[in-house]
Amino acid sequence: MMDTDLLGRSLTAQEKELLHIYQALKNLAEYDDLPPCAAHNVRKALACLWQVTNDLALQFEQLSDLGV
Amino acid sequence: MVYSAYWNPKNETMPRADLQALQLVKLRRLCEWAYARSPFHRRRFDAADFRPEQLRTLADLRRIPLMTREEWMASQLEHPLFGDLLATNPRNAIRYHLTSGTTGRTPIRVLDSIKDWEWIAEMWCYGFWAFGVRPKDVVYFAFGYGSFIGFWGAHYCCEKIGALVIPGGAQTTEGRIRQIVEMGVTTVCSTPTYALHLAQKAKEMGINLANSAVNKVILSGEPAGSIPAVKRQLEEAWGAKCGDTAGMTECGTIMIFECSHQPGGTHIIEDHYIEEVINPTTLDPVPYGELGERVITSFGRGFIPLIRYRSRDMVVKVPYTTCDCGRTGDIYDGGIRGRWDDMKVIRGTNVYPRAVEAILREYQAIDEFQIYIWRRADLQDEITIRVEIVPGQETQWPELQQKLAADLASAHEGLRFNIERMERGVLPRFELKARRLVDARPVPEYSREEMQR
Repeated sequence: MMDTDLLGRSLTAQEKELLHIYQALKNLAEYDDLPPCAAHNVRKALACLWQVTNDLALQFEQLSDLGV
Repeated sequence: MVYSAYWNPKNETMPRADLQALQLVKLRRLCEWAYARSPFHRRRFDAADFRPEQLRTLADLRRIPLMTREEWMASQLEHPLFGDLLATNPRNAIRYHLTSGTTGRTPIRVLDSIKDWEWIAEMWCYGFWAFGVRPKDVVYFAFGYGSFIGFWGAHYCCEKIGALVIPGGAQTTEGRIRQIVEMGVTTVCSTPTYALHLAQKAKEMGINLANSAVNKVILSGEPAGSIPAVKRQLEEAWGAKCGDTAGMTECGTIMIFECSHQPGGTHIIEDHYIEEVINPTTLDPVPYGELGERVITSFGRGFIPLIRYRSRDMVVKVPYTTCDCGRTGDIYDGGIRGRWDDMKVIRGTNVYPRAVEAILREYQAIDEFQIYIWRRADLQDEITIRVEIVPGQETQWPELQQKLAADLASAHEGLRFNIERMERGVLPRFELKARRLVDARPVPEYSREEMQR
């Protein structure tokens, strides 16, 4: 897990928590045996967490390999 | 609950040096992604001898070749349906939209992933929040909800904000007005043209919209949203503040918005875009305060990387300090001022439709208009302004005709404008992008040999 944002500044406690959830959703999206209700809602949630973490300059990456 | 004035306080008020550092990080990653995944961009980067690792400062941006709509259209024709721009498998898409066809015959077709589509709504959130939309608002979309991307992203933005959203598709103008009043709508989203039409129609129905609950009208789709005379008319008719936004199908959403301080222009969302202004002929950057062409790089869409895309929009960039709202994103003074390819040459004088509209909108007696360009006896180009007069104001016509012709001539190096009065209801009305310019001059015919030369 990163300790700094894209500009190299230390993360706040809230930012760390947001990044943690974002990473957890990415991990979940890797599974190919989740039930449809989980697989699709995880992807939807991941797309939303991507916005938050990208808006706050915590990450900038593409998620299409996860189907997001 | 006390809300921040900014959707994203961290980035929207970021010192410009940090903002530019962030843009550089994102630009490098975007170019790496495009080079690795999009054959279109890889081919163009190779041809220009450009590699993403050459991006060491933001000034290195100019090493990247400019991208045009013509190249995009050619790619679509060569590799139907989407060209070879796509950076990921089309199976990952959840949305398909296409341009409204203002320029060129081939529409631009776009696909979005779940993440890209969510980002599209996110950009509208920056704009709507800045203009004061909050969860308590009731937002009405006077929009057809078709293949044109239009206000689609704004609809989802308002759901995200937590406002009550009323989709006003597939309804008559009268039906929309009744719903706006009945539902206590506080925010109306529309093109400037259609917002004027709604106000006029409401008046005919005996409804004064200034007495309704509407306190914000958010405009998009046409440059007129930043024309002071249009804004003044709308604000008076609706008894509400009018805010301009502008976007494009090529990036899927808005890139500029007017904040509630209404600085006479639109802030650029600079943590998600790099917006350059260049001289369209020399391609050199132009300084603050000078008219130039807007060139966009978007960090949002992963599906279709948009890098140094020539928009053909005419803009004048001014520093963020022009506005006192606290945002550090620079401003396009007067929003989008028209399109370079909209310019018409009439007997040697340049005529821009938006400039003509700005003058026409100063006349409150003009209800609808059309700019009609034609050729007299196959020799001389003529420009005629066809106008419809607001009912009850017909007596103003003789004076209006003379004064309007003089005002237009004065703004166009003495060029003679013909002013023609039309019967009410003859000129077309528009719900989406208005097309009030008709160029009826004959298209030159060339022989096959000339065309092959």
